[in-house]
Amino acid sequence: MKLTSAVLVFRLRALIFVIASLLLIGFTSHSINAQFLHPKITSKETAIRTVVVFPAKVNVVRDSMKGPEGMAAESDELSVRVEKVITEVLSKQKQVATLSPPTQGTGQGDAQPNYNVADFQTKFDDLLPKIMKKRSDVKKGRFTMGDEVLNLNLEKTTDAIVFIRGEGKKLTGGKTAFTLLVGGAPAYLKLRIGIVDARNGDVLLYTDPVLAGDPTTAVDRLRKALEKGFKKLPAAQAKP
Amino acid sequence: MSLLITAVCPPAEAQKKKTAPVEATPPPVREEFKFGDVDLEILEQSDLLDRKLERDGLVLHDDAANAYVRRIGQSLVPKGLELERVNWNFRVLRDPQPNAFALPNGSVYMTTGLIVLVDNESQLAAIIAHELTHVMRRHTYVQNRSNRKKFLTMNIMAAVGAYAPGGIVGAVIIVVTTVAPFILMATVYGYSQDLEREADLKGVDMMISAEYSPEEMVNVMKLLDRDIEGENIRLFYNDHPSLDERIKYLSSYLGTRADRVTHQMELNRERAAYFKIMEPVMRHDIQLSISAGRFRSAVFHAQRLVDFHPDSENLFWLAEAYRTLGPRLPQLTDKELTNSAKKDAAKKRVKRTLEEEEQELLATPAGKENWQKHQQKAEELYSRALNSENPVPVVHRGLGMLYEKLGRPSDAASEYEKYLELAPTAIDRERIKKRIETLRRT
Repeated sequence: MKLTSAVLVFRLRALIFVIASLLLIGFTSHSINAQFLHPKITSKETAIRTVVVFPAKVNVVRDSMKGPEGMAAESDELSVRVEKVITEVLSKQKQVATLSPPTQGTGQGDAQPNYNVADFQTKFDDLLPKIMKKRSDVKKGRFTMGDEVLNLNLEKTTDAIVFIRGEGKKLTGGKTAFTLLVGGAPAYLKLRIGIVDARNGDVLLYTDPVLAGDPTTAVDRLRKALEKGFKKLPAAQAKP
Repeated sequence: MSLLITAVCPPAEAQKKKTAPVEATPPPVREEFKFGDVDLEILEQSDLLDRKLERDGLVLHDDAANAYVRRIGQSLVPKGLELERVNWNFRVLRDPQPNAFALPNGSVYMTTGLIVLVDNESQLAAIIAHELTHVMRRHTYVQNRSNRKKFLTMNIMAAVGAYAPGGIVGAVIIVVTTVAPFILMATVYGYSQDLEREADLKGVDMMISAEYSPEEMVNVMKLLDRDIEGENIRLFYNDHPSLDERIKYLSSYLGTRADRVTHQMELNRERAAYFKIMEPVMRHDIQLSISAGRFRSAVFHAQRLVDFHPDSENLFWLAEAYRTLGPRLPQLTDKELTNSAKKDAAKKRVKRTLEEEEQELLATPAGKENWQKHQQKAEELYSRALNSENPVPVVHRGLGMLYEKLGRPSDAASEYEKYLELAPTAIDRERIKKRIETLRRT
């Protein structure tokens, strides 16, 4: 059969479409299932029964035809919601109890506890790009925040600290239409969660669940993404 | 009048200090500014940012330091000036990177990294005056409006490019957005060259009005140009005027406005007063620098502090800086300060942890030599700190850490014990107790 140039172009386009779709599916599922556990967790040498969840830092932007705009208030609300859902998922799915973080918020009186939390958040922000660069090295126990973690003076029963970071994009109606016509990234929320040993600072787990859709309204999808994100974490068992 | 005199004066004549009061320049305010919805959104976000900085523990709670910067700020704001939707607030942020910024609602922030870098009050006033101009001239709103227009253009160009695949517009956009996204970033964040220049020049006028030494604006630029950590990477495109350029046009502007040139003695007095007030902030910054792996900055600033006041606490911080500097050189070499070397270093910073960097350096003879030299220097400084008047207990902790690293577990444990004995309620007591337990076991 002699192939006309039109058929060739059509077949080439179809092939590109299939490859692109496979890549997209591969990328998405990889991101959702990307969980890396420290050998101490996989070997069950360390168990996570009680955690302190540090305030989440999730930033969302509204992408309109006039460019991205900050959504400071919505980002704050979303941060609180993500923190809450993570606490629920850890508690219901993994039987992990959550304790309150050290005093933070007013900035009045003794500022030291507030500074300590802020400094550890900064330390995690500094470590995060290195983890992201080679996430699988969490499995080798490469990343640690050091024993300075003990300066936080958390409750003795605390096994780990949960750090939450995230970024998302919400599209306006105009931008959604534009994206459909021209192409571009859809609305999404990508979280980056690290669980750090409260006794020596080792990074015990790193997971980066992604959810597609408006991050400010997708509550159920957020829960599902987080459930998947913590799938590999062994459920806590009562101390013998 | 003063302009004419200085314009015809030779440089030597211009060095003479003028005693007559300086004529105030009109306040550099954008009076005709009308607020739109977009501006009100920015204003709301500024208020939220203020609250977020406070809530996240980034604002320094040092009453003396905050009162000091407030006094400088208020002395620079033209008397009787009332600006719609501006409420002046001057605060210090806990960040070792030298920086300052102003929000359009009147909040002016400067980092501890900046405070520790500058030499005197006039230099700090220069920075604040520059930031005040951004607020008074409503630069944030102006820039935001301009960026929105640019984005709209970019989106239209993207659409054109998408519909003409392979066409020049599409290719340009693809290159810009995928290969060099910093071009977009540089346009979006920060002010344009014109606005920065305006802030510099109006800042000089404000300094003169408030009787600060205007030449310190140039000196502070020179200080900012000092790249201790090798972080100032020149990008292919940058919307800000380079520091060299700023120094040039400011010097030229001062040549025509040099109606007050301060004697060195007066500046030295100002420096001593500044260091006295800011000493606790400077120590706090050195601690933050060490924690952030900015060891060279820590050594540089701690040395300045020891030169000013060699008491036990300052000696302790210098010792800490040398101990943590480890196998690194205290100053970057000329080779390390080239643009390509800085880019490589920036890439490595994302790949390696500080411990890994240290291990790599220790594997080299030069690294080993540096490490030995710095540990020795640290030990000497710790011992000087212990022999000073009113030695601080943390010196024992520092010595403990030094001995632990040197493989002297018994000495390390006893130093830690001394520390806990002298500071039983220390915030890091649990960490130190655990270290003692481990050391005693080995």
